[in-house]
Amino acid sequence: MSASLPSDEVAADFRDSLQDLQINNRYEISNLTIIAKENAEHAPALSRVLQHHIKTTAPSRKLPALYVLDSIVKNVGSPYTLYLGQNLYQIFMDAYVLVDPTTRKSMEAMLKTWKEPVPGSMDPAPVFKPDFTKPIENALIRARTAAIQQQQSARAQNPPIPLPPRPSSATYRDSPTQQHGISRYAQPPVPQRHAPQYGYPNQMPTPQQPSAQQYEQSMHTLSPSVREPQPIPHAAYDINRLNDDIARLIEVVKLQFASNVFDSSLQMKLQALLDLQNILRSQQLPQEALGQIKVQIDQLSASLPQAPPSVTLLPTTPQSDPRPSAQLRWQPPTPSYQPPQPYPAPPQSVPSYQPPPSVQTPPSQPVFPSDMLARLLASTSNGPNPNTPTLRAATPALQGLQALNGFAPPQHAATPPASTPAPASHDLFAALRASGMLPPAPPASAQPAQVPQPPRPLLLPPELQSLLMGQPAKVGTPPITAAQLAFAAPQINVPLTAASLKTPRPELVSGLYDSQPNQCTSCGRRFLATEEGRKRKARHLDWHFRISTSADAHNLGQSRLWYQDDREWIYYTDVDESAEPPSDDTIAAAKQAKKGPKDQYIPIPADATPATSACPICQEKFENKWHELAQEWVWMDAIKVGGRVYHASCHEEVLNAHREESRRSMTPESALGKRKAEVSCSPLHTGVCVVRREDADADLMSRRTYLTRETS
Amino acid sequence: MALPGLSLPGLGLASTPAPAYGGPTQPPTEQVARREELPAQAEWRFEAAFTQQYTVRVLHGHAELFGVELATNQPYNLSGSKGAIFTWQGCQLEITGEAESEYAAQETEYAIEWLNLHGMLETARDDRPTDGPRVLVVGPDHVGKSSLTRALAARAVKAGRTPTVISLDPREGLLGPPSSLTTVTVGSQMDVENGFGISPISGPTVTPVKTPLIYHYPYTSPAERPAVYKALLTRIALSTMNKLEEEPAAKQSGMIIDAPGSLNDPKNGYETIHHLISEFSVNLIISIGSERLYNDLNRRYGANTGSDGAITVLKLSKPGGAIERDAGYMKQLRTRQIRQYFFGSSKESLSPHSHMIGFDDMIIYRAKPASGEVEKYGADDDDYDPSSSSPVVSTNATFEKITPSAAMTGSLIVIKFCPSSSEDYAVRDSAVMGYLYVADVDEARKKVRFLAPHPQRWGDRALVWAQWPEAVADLVT
Repeated sequence: MSASLPSDEVAADFRDSLQDLQINNRYEISNLTIIAKENAEHAPALSRVLQHHIKTTAPSRKLPALYVLDSIVKNVGSPYTLYLGQNLYQIFMDAYVLVDPTTRKSMEAMLKTWKEPVPGSMDPAPVFKPDFTKPIENALIRARTAAIQQQQSARAQNPPIPLPPRPSSATYRDSPTQQHGISRYAQPPVPQRHAPQYGYPNQMPTPQQPSAQQYEQSMHTLSPSVREPQPIPHAAYDINRLNDDIARLIEVVKLQFASNVFDSSLQMKLQALLDLQNILRSQQLPQEALGQIKVQIDQLSASLPQAPPSVTLLPTTPQSDPRPSAQLRWQPPTPSYQPPQPYPAPPQSVPSYQPPPSVQTPPSQPVFPSDMLARLLASTSNGPNPNTPTLRAATPALQGLQALNGFAPPQHAATPPASTPAPASHDLFAALRASGMLPPAPPASAQPAQVPQPPRPLLLPPELQSLLMGQPAKVGTPPITAAQLAFAAPQINVPLTAASLKTPRPELVSGLYDSQPNQCTSCGRRFLATEEGRKRKARHLDWHFRISTSADAHNLGQSRLWYQDDREWIYYTDVDESAEPPSDDTIAAAKQAKKGPKDQYIPIPADATPATSACPICQEKFENKWHELAQEWVWMDAIKVGGRVYHASCHEEVLNAHREESRRSMTPESALGKRKAEVSCSPLHTGVCVVRREDADADLMSRRTYLTRETS
Repeated sequence: MALPGLSLPGLGLASTPAPAYGGPTQPPTEQVARREELPAQAEWRFEAAFTQQYTVRVLHGHAELFGVELATNQPYNLSGSKGAIFTWQGCQLEITGEAESEYAAQETEYAIEWLNLHGMLETARDDRPTDGPRVLVVGPDHVGKSSLTRALAARAVKAGRTPTVISLDPREGLLGPPSSLTTVTVGSQMDVENGFGISPISGPTVTPVKTPLIYHYPYTSPAERPAVYKALLTRIALSTMNKLEEEPAAKQSGMIIDAPGSLNDPKNGYETIHHLISEFSVNLIISIGSERLYNDLNRRYGANTGSDGAITVLKLSKPGGAIERDAGYMKQLRTRQIRQYFFGSSKESLSPHSHMIGFDDMIIYRAKPASGEVEKYGADDDDYDPSSSSPVVSTNATFEKITPSAAMTGSLIVIKFCPSSSEDYAVRDSAVMGYLYVADVDEARKKVRFLAPHPQRWGDRALVWAQWPEAVADLVT
């Protein structure tokens, strides 16, 4: 059907369709398979696209993408088996190290089927040749062995990692936490030891196969012959990767910033990252420094919610995870995650990393003076020691940041700082801290964005206290103890006893007023002094305005609605229309309501004359109607286009006819356009606009509908 | 005083009706505003007649009326209400108009108790997010039960909660006319002037609407037909519990049950209280103003009874400002509630609609007056189960079909959600769709003219004529 189409075009369409694939959807996968089948002549291009997609897509979408691969090789077979088989090891292992344990299991099951003939096929040959699948199997076996060894050694010198020892089973699955820990954190602290041994001049994990490399390091008996097929030039690779990672991180922070423009910490973070990027681009930095920067960047990007996993070391398109659940995001899976210490590094106590107290004050301008960083880096580049003091000094703080993000930091720098950091490091550290990358020291227990606590009640003698409460200091007044005053206003704790009923509690009074200082002047309602409180108040004032403007006009026509019956009431939630934002559903409902041309309306123009009050297309007059939601007289089924008012339905008819005509004269659409449309019409997409009747704005309308239904 | 909604066009209503209640309308004289300085923890108690303009404005400082904060420099019309404006830190009020009684009071220990009670509920909400406090407020009449309920609800709302308030006194409605038993999840700000504001109407409202679920108990006191009352309690509890299951936030916020004062009666009321506690799984009982009731309840449910100990019983003293609302005032209050149901208030005026319906086109039930059989019927009916009571013996039936008569004029007719030909128990347990006012019964032409809150007809529903609340003669003429 599309023999003449260039490969690029087919590949681009295929890629787009792949990107729509978010979940394990049989329909979409078989659709993609058919595309691959029909475009078998473009197999090289499509294989490339698919391979790239599996590499770059979010971990949660890797399995569906792999299933596409599986479906293609099983249903189409050659030549895809050939093209995809060549890089199968890479495709598989790259994905494997990134996905969660459940997905790994699925992947292992899938791998198993690849060693068998295609189901239902007469051909006894396996799906992939053993040449392709064997390396993967070996790697998995090695990974598993390494994991067990590591676990044992880790347990020998550390508190046990909360992982059950994996029973030997048919699966080759590695302990996921271990693997994450290894691939993410285990920067070899003393790289010189390993580097000559394996011929890696620097200690960056092999990008294609970080975990495998780690396993080799812990299993010195492994033969290098089973290594990954395509070694990568490392030195050049690293700095490019680092740049990519930073660029990606910048994108992520930008996205966050865009959705939360008021967050100044994000802005500072973004600024710091941009500065770092400039420095990296403009200057040659020694590998060691790069390694340290990279570790920080990796950790930082892992700590950002939308950050694509940094461990891929591959350019990953920043796709937000479609699944909302945090567990499904790629993160170290166990919340009770202990820092893995795969190497017998002497346990470092965090305090030894604490920055000098002189760096507590952040500068107002969170920028990196480039000469400063150059000096700092120059100070470290003369020796082979990779532990750049400055960056290491920043490490605990970054670790603290990670700890705040839900998992414990690795203690990866092997030795305490040999010397006090150079003065420049103060600036860097302070800049990082000011940028919000670092929490204020001490890092470990600080809470980010802690709600400012209302002033705690003062500790006053009882007489003063009762004076404050407006009571004469009576002899019988129970003295107010410090313990009773200890409750800060937000943390109310009143024991449920008869005795505590009589105790005056000023903190409760301040809870009524001071904790919500932002008051509406017309109704006395209070709002928090936070950003959200301000937003709510703004909506609240809008609501007052709406009410006051519409009430007069409508005062005569309104009537009390019937009550709801039990069932309806149970499922009905009063939405506080006076402060809550309209929910997404409401907007969706409003949009959907707009869709039908019959429902469109415009206010009756003030200058309406008999000549203008008829539709130029059908010559019929517009229908005057009182619109309850708009609170004014309107013309229903009307649309104003270029100064003239038409019937919306007439206008659409004409427009459609016009479109139809122009479509016929246009060049045919892309080969896969039609099919793409089908894909995007999957239930996933159409199911978005579920309209809840309970919505605030749709409320009145819907209840009227309800009444009609009830009484008819 | 202008009565809202009475001069609406198109309804065939008289345009100059006499006020329905409370003596002659006072000429709107120019009132002199006066200022009152309140020290900290004092309150301004007032009893304003329905016919008197009575406006309060906070000039500076914070002040609240039953837990609802008054905005500074906003006039509040408190005509026809009795209450106390309390201030924690002191405030200055500007008062316009005459009240039957007004004074500044310093004995306000109750305010600390009430606030601590709020703190206890907040603590409970934080401690047990999946199992919010379920509070029952009991006590004799006129001790401030409803005011406490309102204050607790208002403060909970202020703290961002969505408490569910259940009002079980048929003598005074909540978001509905009297004889309503109401359950409502309060999700938005409360109102200074009328507490819970207004139930949904077709237009904008000054205070966000609250959507109640209403049941109907057609007698003055639970003691008149305890079985019916208990059946309704079961029903309300079922709906409310279901709703809280649907809404975790509401469940965490818990419920506050305002029991009628007539339950404070060992002979007739305790059984109902017990039923109430078990149906709503009450875990905190607040007894106001009755030492005996507190002791009885504490003995039965208190922590030292050896049972699960899940129920705490607390005793509050009667606030000094709680005064008896005499029968005349209560009647006026009921009249006003009925009027507001149809015509709205000065803030949101409503247009009721007339419906003429022939005798043959409707079935009207009458709630049979309580009689001697009640005792027998209501005895040892502890665990009332509506489903098992379907074959109600005819002598025990709550309702009987009647032919409309002129005696109905001025009464309320309740529209139940159940179809008109339902079983007796179904009619009894069915929720209320709305109320009708019998404007006129033309026995000769066999037609009834109803005043309905809404233009749409109600369809085939059971209509119940309740002798309670008492007829209001001149709602319309």
